[in-house]
Amino acid sequence: MFKYILKRALTYVVMIFLVTSAGYFLAVQTMNPALLEQEKIPRPTPEQIQANFASLKLDPQMSAWERYVQWLKDILFHFDWGRSPNGAYINSEFGQRVWVSTRLFAAAIILSLIIGVALGVFSAARQYKASDRIITGYSYLVYIIPAPIAYFLVQLGAVAINQAAGDRIFFVTGISSPGVEPGWPTIVDMAAHYLVPTFCITIMSWGGYQIAQRQYLLDSVNADFVRTARAKGLTRNQAITRHALRVSFIPVAQSIAFTVPAIFTGGFFAEAIFAWPGIGLWSLQAIGAQDVNAATATLAYGSVLFAVSAILADIATTIVDPRVRMN
Amino acid sequence: MSANPVLSVKDLNVSFNTENGVVHAVRGINFDLHAGKTLGIVGESGSGKSVASMAIMGLHPTTADITGSIQYKGKELLGLSDKEMCEHRGKDIAMIFQDPLSSLTPVYTIGDQIGEVLKVHNKGMSKQAIKDRSVELMRLVGIPDPANRLKSFPHEFSGGMRQRVMIAMAIANDPAVLIADEPTTALDVTIQAQVLEVMEKAQEETGAGIIMITHDLGVVAGMADDIMVMYAGKPVEIARAEDIYTRPAHPYTIGLLGAVPRVDRADKVSLVPIDGTPPNLLNEVHGCSFRPRCPIAKSGGQCCKDVAEEPALRLIEGAGEGHYAAADIAEQLVDARPEDLYPVPEVPESKYDSIPREERPTVLEVKNLKKHFPLLKGALVKRRVGTVKAVNGVSFDIREGECFSIVGESGCGKTTTLLEIMEFNKETDGDILVNGSSVHDGLKGSELLKMRKNQQMVFQDPTGALDPRFTVYEVLAEPLENQGWKKKDIQKRVIELMRTVGLQPDHVNRFPNQFSGGQRQRIGIARALAVNPKLVALDEPVSALDVSVQAGVINLLEKLRADLGLSYLMVAHDLAVVRHASDRVAVMYLGRVVEIGHVDQVFDNPIHPYTRALLSAIPVPDPEVEASRERIILEGDLPTPLNAPDGCPFSTRCPIFKLLPEEKQKVCTSEHPAMSREGNLDHEYACYFPNEEVAIVSATNPEAVVGVSQDETPWGDSALAADSTVADSSAAGEGSIRA
Repeated sequence: MFKYILKRALTYVVMIFLVTSAGYFLAVQTMNPALLEQEKIPRPTPEQIQANFASLKLDPQMSAWERYVQWLKDILFHFDWGRSPNGAYINSEFGQRVWVSTRLFAAAIILSLIIGVALGVFSAARQYKASDRIITGYSYLVYIIPAPIAYFLVQLGAVAINQAAGDRIFFVTGISSPGVEPGWPTIVDMAAHYLVPTFCITIMSWGGYQIAQRQYLLDSVNADFVRTARAKGLTRNQAITRHALRVSFIPVAQSIAFTVPAIFTGGFFAEAIFAWPGIGLWSLQAIGAQDVNAATATLAYGSVLFAVSAILADIATTIVDPRVRMN
Repeated sequence: MSANPVLSVKDLNVSFNTENGVVHAVRGINFDLHAGKTLGIVGESGSGKSVASMAIMGLHPTTADITGSIQYKGKELLGLSDKEMCEHRGKDIAMIFQDPLSSLTPVYTIGDQIGEVLKVHNKGMSKQAIKDRSVELMRLVGIPDPANRLKSFPHEFSGGMRQRVMIAMAIANDPAVLIADEPTTALDVTIQAQVLEVMEKAQEETGAGIIMITHDLGVVAGMADDIMVMYAGKPVEIARAEDIYTRPAHPYTIGLLGAVPRVDRADKVSLVPIDGTPPNLLNEVHGCSFRPRCPIAKSGGQCCKDVAEEPALRLIEGAGEGHYAAADIAEQLVDARPEDLYPVPEVPESKYDSIPREERPTVLEVKNLKKHFPLLKGALVKRRVGTVKAVNGVSFDIREGECFSIVGESGCGKTTTLLEIMEFNKETDGDILVNGSSVHDGLKGSELLKMRKNQQMVFQDPTGALDPRFTVYEVLAEPLENQGWKKKDIQKRVIELMRTVGLQPDHVNRFPNQFSGGQRQRIGIARALAVNPKLVALDEPVSALDVSVQAGVINLLEKLRADLGLSYLMVAHDLAVVRHASDRVAVMYLGRVVEIGHVDQVFDNPIHPYTRALLSAIPVPDPEVEASRERIILEGDLPTPLNAPDGCPFSTRCPIFKLLPEEKQKVCTSEHPAMSREGNLDHEYACYFPNEEVAIVSATNPEAVVGVSQDETPWGDSALAADSTVADSSAAGEGSIRA
């Protein structure tokens, strides 16, 4: 088992290397930050730009291959992902942003997972009853509503509550207020900032899990082995929880692992709307700013997340499904 | 007191609310089941037999409307809540289901699943006690190495072994009632014989009353004490088993018995087809439910006294004890033979019948055909870790107007052989010649297309083989269009084809789902015949059909062969069908032909031990034959073609090999036996020592081996001869009992 995971991990390391290298070449060929520099006022001379970029190791006169070797050496020997055209260090910027993203999404991902799977089980057990129709109907509704619109609506709702209360209960943007005393006031301030974004992301994300879990459970509720379990003398609910649930969770466990990186790297709407400067937003900004190193770093981060998720999915599947424990 | 039935069902009715209306699936069943007795319930799909059994188990959804009475030892079960019913399920009443592959939870070990049924009903049973009992149960149903096998998962067991596990779970708490719903339908015949024996053993151990539900009159013939024949949700006949087979009194039962081909009969008579289809139970039944298909009513006779009223079950005098039938003139039918009642088509005569086989042109010749699949391993770079020898040197030929069948257990390579011939790929290892043109001739384009029209195929599942969005016309026109026919000719040909296969030509614009299963298979046959092929490959052509419909399709195939001079290459697992329909037969085992020859030769005088075991495993719908039949039960399952043993592939399971002295065993394991010819007959076999004594192995106790020398047919030429199998061997001084 351990050997198998190690083998898979090695495969993914190769994959991450290839994806990142390919991404770097693509970025280096197409992005030209020097053009943006020329729009600055006062306009710098080409020599100034050249000298500036050369000192940032973004020398546009070097060939793509030379720049790749230089970039790769820095990463491999110093774990230095280079600098942005404005001189910022990718490493430090990246560290801050990952932390912001994690705080924004971690709670929401866990919550939506628990709520989604629980509602899936609940609605499958009550197939075609009113509660099932409402829960499943809501999940499909979430599929069609564009996320930004839902976020804005919730923001408006929170603002309305604030106005009705005549006090600022919720913060609809930002991570924290400056100058809050440490201790209890900080915790209250954090909660007020976290509540709205976490709520928004959660209610928009559980639908997928709910629909998947409901569908897979329904497939196995009428399976022959559940009938066997009932013939042994288990009640319907016992048979479903002991036999159908675990089998139906196998495909859900796999899908969970693969949706996590999508949420992290694709969460730019939430980051932009709630003004939490995270990784998703950064990757968009990097492309806009013709920032080769930042764009490549976010790409590398995405592929690492994917690889970790895939291995987690493998482990999860192995735990719930003995049939894959072989080999 | 044993006079009290353990299970008593009175006036059981089950109906379901569906989108299309109320389906009245079971319309009044009455029976008493006594301890230690077996009741067989026989019926076609949709006759309500499974619905009734699920009602007894209380496993229907709450939306099902169940009325009547089901009493277990005097206690009413109907109306109990799910929770109350759980007290009885698995403890007093247990059930064995049809498909062992899907009936066990894939993510739990066998030990967990057997332990669960013990735990649920025996609160406070210790872990050790559960384990001991599980091992005991596993041993009882004949699973080797039970203590270790408890840790295995279902996917590590074969189908037959899984069904044994199901039986072990069912008898874990010594139930008084055991319901088996088609317990062997999904299994190969040799495995079926093992499982049936395990069930008999289980009944001996527990003294349970068994309800055996099946569509196969043969399976229950040897087991059941009483048999109930169901039709359209209602029993039409109930009698003791021997009376059902010898003195059937309902036209439907009579027809069913005539519709089943018999593996022990050589005489060529057409089967009795029961025309029409069972009524749709969405509609209320008026009058006798069988009337639209009843041969007496059809020929203008009078069976029902009152056409408007459904005949009730009543006691029939002079046809054995407790014989009930739902036919008003049952007394007159008791001695009727199926052929007397039903219009039986004459045995079609082919112009080839009079020409000796050697003088007929060869349609298909297969020479040393091999199909090996590489077994690969590895994620990125594939390594070859082994070879699956699915087909390993098969040779045969088919002459014009002949039906050649390949039989064997699943995994023996029969379907792969068929597909290789249909594929006609020039990469083929070995040679395939269709009408003289070889796969290695390198035919291309139009030549290949022309050649391909000579070989057509009929598939097993008629529903899956027809595009549901095509009308019948489009289905039949497609092969003709491919061959470049003109539109006007196609129209004419499609109408002609519909008539040929016995369908109404004005139904060409219907979609496949508007036809019944048997009619769909007729469409499949018509499609294969469209381009006037020489050779039609039949892949299990009737196994998806009900018995009464099957007879009609077999008769049609025979008629077409005679009328059109077709040759058939048939693959089937039902040896009775093969015996009935074929001229020649090949028995395959692990990719090789072990016995080949004229069908009567091979079936009446089987030489290879595998053929003998295979034939002896088939239950015959005749309790007398069943009672006297000696089964050669094979040990274990078919080895996978991957770990095929050296030398004779059958040696691991061979009942002869087991008793051979060591030096002879060496011969068997050293080299694959070549084909030997039996006298001057059309009969060849691949075995070194066919005349040595045969070990009779018990499925439940593999250690006890009884030696029996070779006798005639497994079922005996007559009941008398078969009775003396064991006596014969001891007379010859070879009978031996080994422990």
